[in-house]
Amino acid sequence: MADNNGTIKNDIKIEVKNLNFYYGNYNLLKNINLFFKKNSVCTIIGPSGCGKSTFLRTLNRMNDYTEDTKLTGEVLIDGKNIYNRSVDVVELRRNIGMVFQTPNPFPKSIFDNVAFGLKIHGIKNKEFIAERVEKCLKYAALFDEVKDTLYKPAFSLSGGQQQRLCIARAIATNPSVLLMDEPTAYLDPMSTGIILDLITSFKKYYTVVVVSHNIQQAARVADYSGFFLSGELIEFDNAGDFFTRPKDKRTENYITSRF
Amino acid sequence: MFNLKYKDDFYKLILSVFIFGIILIFLTVVAVMLYYSYPAIIRYGLPFLWTKEWNPPKEIFGAATFIAGTFMVTFLALIFAVPLSLGIGIFLEEYCPAFLRGFFTIIIEILAGIPSVVFGVWGVLTIVPWLRDSIEPFFEKHFSYIPFLKVEENIGYGILAASFVVTFMILPIIASITKDSLASVPKIIKDGAFATGATKLDVIRDVSLPHAYKGIYGGIVLGFGRAVGETIAVVLLIGNQAVIPKSLFGVGYTISAVLANTFTFAVISHIYASSEVELALILLLVSLIINLLGRNVLKRVIGGKFSRSQFGGG
Ligand SMILES: Nc1ncnc2c1ncn2[C@@H]1O[C@H](COP(=O)(O)OP(=O)(O)OP(=O)(O)O)[C@@H](O)[C@H]1O
Ligand SMILES: [Mg+2]
Repeated sequence: MADNNGTIKNDIKIEVKNLNFYYGNYNLLKNINLFFKKNSVCTIIGPSGCGKSTFLRTLNRMNDYTEDTKLTGEVLIDGKNIYNRSVDVVELRRNIGMVFQTPNPFPKSIFDNVAFGLKIHGIKNKEFIAERVEKCLKYAALFDEVKDTLYKPAFSLSGGQQQRLCIARAIATNPSVLLMDEPTAYLDPMSTGIILDLITSFKKYYTVVVVSHNIQQAARVADYSGFFLSGELIEFDNAGDFFTRPKDKRTENYITSRF
Repeated sequence: MFNLKYKDDFYKLILSVFIFGIILIFLTVVAVMLYYSYPAIIRYGLPFLWTKEWNPPKEIFGAATFIAGTFMVTFLALIFAVPLSLGIGIFLEEYCPAFLRGFFTIIIEILAGIPSVVFGVWGVLTIVPWLRDSIEPFFEKHFSYIPFLKVEENIGYGILAASFVVTFMILPIIASITKDSLASVPKIIKDGAFATGATKLDVIRDVSLPHAYKGIYGGIVLGFGRAVGETIAVVLLIGNQAVIPKSLFGVGYTISAVLANTFTFAVISHIYASSEVELALILLLVSLIINLLGRNVLKRVIGGKFSRSQFGGG
């Protein structure tokens, strides 16, 4: 796919250009420029309140529903600006899965949680849905634990299981991008380990962007990493350089203070 | 430490006294009703419930006409009010722009607080003429072959007029509980649905309403309780005839209305008074059952919000 300058950038999935985001008059995200490569895991780190979640939510337009916000700049996915008027948000989000900080299953059965995305995108074929649900639960390393209780309420699962269910739900519509906002924030070490392994295995299929508070965890899964501070992108680099030889003093301070 | 403990116990004691007092008052009410209705219960037995005649001079007493009227008014009011108030609740919580939401919410709360007699007077001044001059002539002309819609006397008063006014009285209750139940759906769960590409309608239908349905159900039951017992507005509108209404436009009577109209002179005969108290007892039991059902449901919802570990794990 060609970008505006005509350069071939085959391996770029998401490109963020001059992105500014405002809550009311407050300019939270300041002129963000970066890109995410296809089939890679990128982690976003930074102190609390620096705008990580807000940034992640600009990538699938989840901020659309937040009142009194403004966005300038571009977010290109596969070369197309997702903020173009002509973009179908429903289709955009089918193509971008999202996993949240707290597990947020729907008040439905385990099966229906995963099938939700398929159903709202108009898929009616029961066999197809059942197959896909099973496959996604397997990808999310949950199937063996729930295969006999598929029709029980999702709320009956443990927190770690609920989070894996939410991962299965997020990939059910066969997206090409997966956004995860501190997916292990409230999980025990066991569940955290499982989910970190999942993230690594996911880059075969998806471009994964993970927000994390935890430097060790971020370093463990990342191919690329970015550091946000007060709404600015301070540094963005491949994980090897980023975590061992950060170029910016502020990145270094943050990383070393957190290790 | 010890002080705190004693203080706790002291509050517990006071609370227990109050709760015990409330239970005592309630039991006294039931006991008095039972005591005074006992002669009628013995004399007329169960057929009291399905006897249609109410004839004090002949001492023939049956509750069927009043029960029928009560249930028709309640049922119709719910049929009108439930879809409307669900719509209003959903609109307020999910679609209404923020700056108007507060305004509409206040209006609904004011509506809920208006005394029923005001609703009744309003109904006599507006609903009755509207039914008499526009609706009933229309139905008489086009639908007179449907027995249930037959206009017998074109007077405006009757079951339909009473139902409309009761509708307006229970609408704010159900609407505001619907709104509150929807508001209690965690934002992050809705976000989860939006993130899979759900439209607002998908989210309301598949996530918010299933999450909120117990609360909404509780609101409907509370509305039912209010409708069953509503008195003064009904007295003013239903026509007050002890007949089983054959049509929506027919006149009728409800338990509460007949009590309000006649209990003061029912004392002329012992068995007359006793029969009226039995009517009151029926109403008490019905509204008690309904309210207990509704409150239990509400309690389960509110309790469930805290006990269910939907964010468990950490
Ligand atoms: N809806 C909103 N309206 C106004 N300000 C908001 C809103 N949401 C977030 N903010 C502000 O934007 C800033 C960044 O929030 P954001 O949630 O993006 O931070 P974060 O980096 O994800 O923090 P954390 O690590 O604690 O999750 C915060 O100061 C927050 O108060
Ligand atoms: Mg955050």
